[in-house]
Amino acid sequence: MEYVRKLMDRVSVEGVKIELLNTAYGNGDTFFARLDPRTLFLWYLYFGIAPWFIHNEVLLLGMFLFMVVTTILSRVSPLIILILCLGLMSQVGYLFIVSWLFSGGGEAILPLLKLTMKLSVISMASITAFCSMDPERLSDGLLRIGVPKQVSFGIAYGYRMLPSLVEEYHHIFLSFRLRGVAPQRHGMLYWRSIVYFLKIAVLSFYPLILSIAKRTRTTVEALEAKGFSYAYHSPEVKRIKLSYMRFTMRDAVFLVVSGLYVMMLYVLAAQISI
Amino acid sequence: MAQLRQRYVLTQSQKMMVFILSMSLYGLSNMITELIPSVRLGPIELSVEYFAFIPLTLCILFHPFYAAVGAALGEVIFGEIMLGQFGGLGELEKFIAFSLAMFIAGTLVNDPKNRRQVGVAAMTGVIIHQFISCTVDIAKVWIGVEEFEAVPGLAQSVVVVEGVAFLNDVLFSGILFALLPTLYLVPRLYGKIEPLLGMKPRNNKMKYSLGEIIAPRLIVVSIILALLAAVAEFLSESDMALMEWDADYLNSIGGWFVWVSIGAAAVVACLTIWVLVRRGKRSRTAGTGI
Repeated sequence: MEYVRKLMDRVSVEGVKIELLNTAYGNGDTFFARLDPRTLFLWYLYFGIAPWFIHNEVLLLGMFLFMVVTTILSRVSPLIILILCLGLMSQVGYLFIVSWLFSGGGEAILPLLKLTMKLSVISMASITAFCSMDPERLSDGLLRIGVPKQVSFGIAYGYRMLPSLVEEYHHIFLSFRLRGVAPQRHGMLYWRSIVYFLKIAVLSFYPLILSIAKRTRTTVEALEAKGFSYAYHSPEVKRIKLSYMRFTMRDAVFLVVSGLYVMMLYVLAAQISI
Repeated sequence: MAQLRQRYVLTQSQKMMVFILSMSLYGLSNMITELIPSVRLGPIELSVEYFAFIPLTLCILFHPFYAAVGAALGEVIFGEIMLGQFGGLGELEKFIAFSLAMFIAGTLVNDPKNRRQVGVAAMTGVIIHQFISCTVDIAKVWIGVEEFEAVPGLAQSVVVVEGVAFLNDVLFSGILFALLPTLYLVPRLYGKIEPLLGMKPRNNKMKYSLGEIIAPRLIVVSIILALLAAVAEFLSESDMALMEWDADYLNSIGGWFVWVSIGAAAVVACLTIWVLVRRGKRSRTAGTGI
């Protein structure tokens, strides 16, 4: 349990906030961050869907290597990579153990390995595409391809409000702890403390719901004062807002290189058969 | 009666308020649940899957459609994009499953003060959501692993793993973090939170105008999604067939088969873009909000 306490010390609210802002705004100068959002969407559309329907090892391995390169280029934070690896390993490893219990044996390794490879290609593609865009570009890009305005508004709002919401929740949580009585003994496996904290975590939402409701009303009134609903219906506003987006040589080079690479893989996969 | 029905037609800004409230609250809670570590006791993982009580409460107290869509979007934005775990197209499935489940739960309740109704609705919502996501997870492994049935033990193990996860989520997260907090919160918030948004509380004689909820837009979107799913299914079927066929003939025919594969991928890409563009145009011309 010493380990848990150390972990909890490290995962402080401040640390989480800083890490979040880093993820959002930390990598604005990478190659991918300067591409047009639409290019990245198009690119993701292939690498996010195609791997599901590919069963060729050479092809998958080639894509995997390509994705590793793009993920390194997009300079995402190590925390995200760690979460990704943990998720992949726990899901597939667990599946392997259970299939072993069903007398699966060694035959299950290869298909599961392939599944892992597919999943990692897809998730690395999405990390490359979505973590390297800062929120404004992402929301504008989504708006440009016809996603409802609420979504793009939600992204902008989320990034703006989240730090203060987390802080408010943290304050309420601390005041519950201050006024409440913590359990005398931790109990077996700390269960008393865990139950106590979870209960506070749930109860803290009651004041938070009311205060966010008030805050929401203020937000919407401010939006209406600026003519949000009117702008929402007007295509002219959208056109002006998005007029800065254009494809450049960079986008073309990126798409062509990716396309050539994939084509080369296909040819290679046709040559080598395992 | 006609007047009572009229009463719950929300204005544009009230819809927006419900939407933002639900989005930010559920998004925040999602972030907190991501940070809570899970305890694993053998095959049973005691983890806090999600704080489902927040969208459930809001769907019961306010208009369920806007609350449900807002919550699902909040999950995507706060819990996925901001934490850098955005799964791209995979999120579409979560979004649809979650908003559908919460919407159904919200419509089941006529009277927020009736505890039995609220409890039944909360559990129904969780069960629907978990059932959909469990089925989708099984299908994912199915599509991802070639010759799914041929690998001994894999089919059973996927079903067992997902089944255990389903039961765990419904019984543990469902009761502790959906049923009990919803039963606690709904009667306390009813009548208190609505004035803060400048609305009247939901009336127990109130009915949603179903015509407004099941708008043409919703129908069109669901038809498109169903079509996309069918196309994906079909593609995977034909792709597998092609692969088997390919193994025998590839050496003699040569590489032209490659182009079939590339073509299939291109068709999927073009189709998706076309759908997105059409949806964009539709929303521009129709201009009715979510």
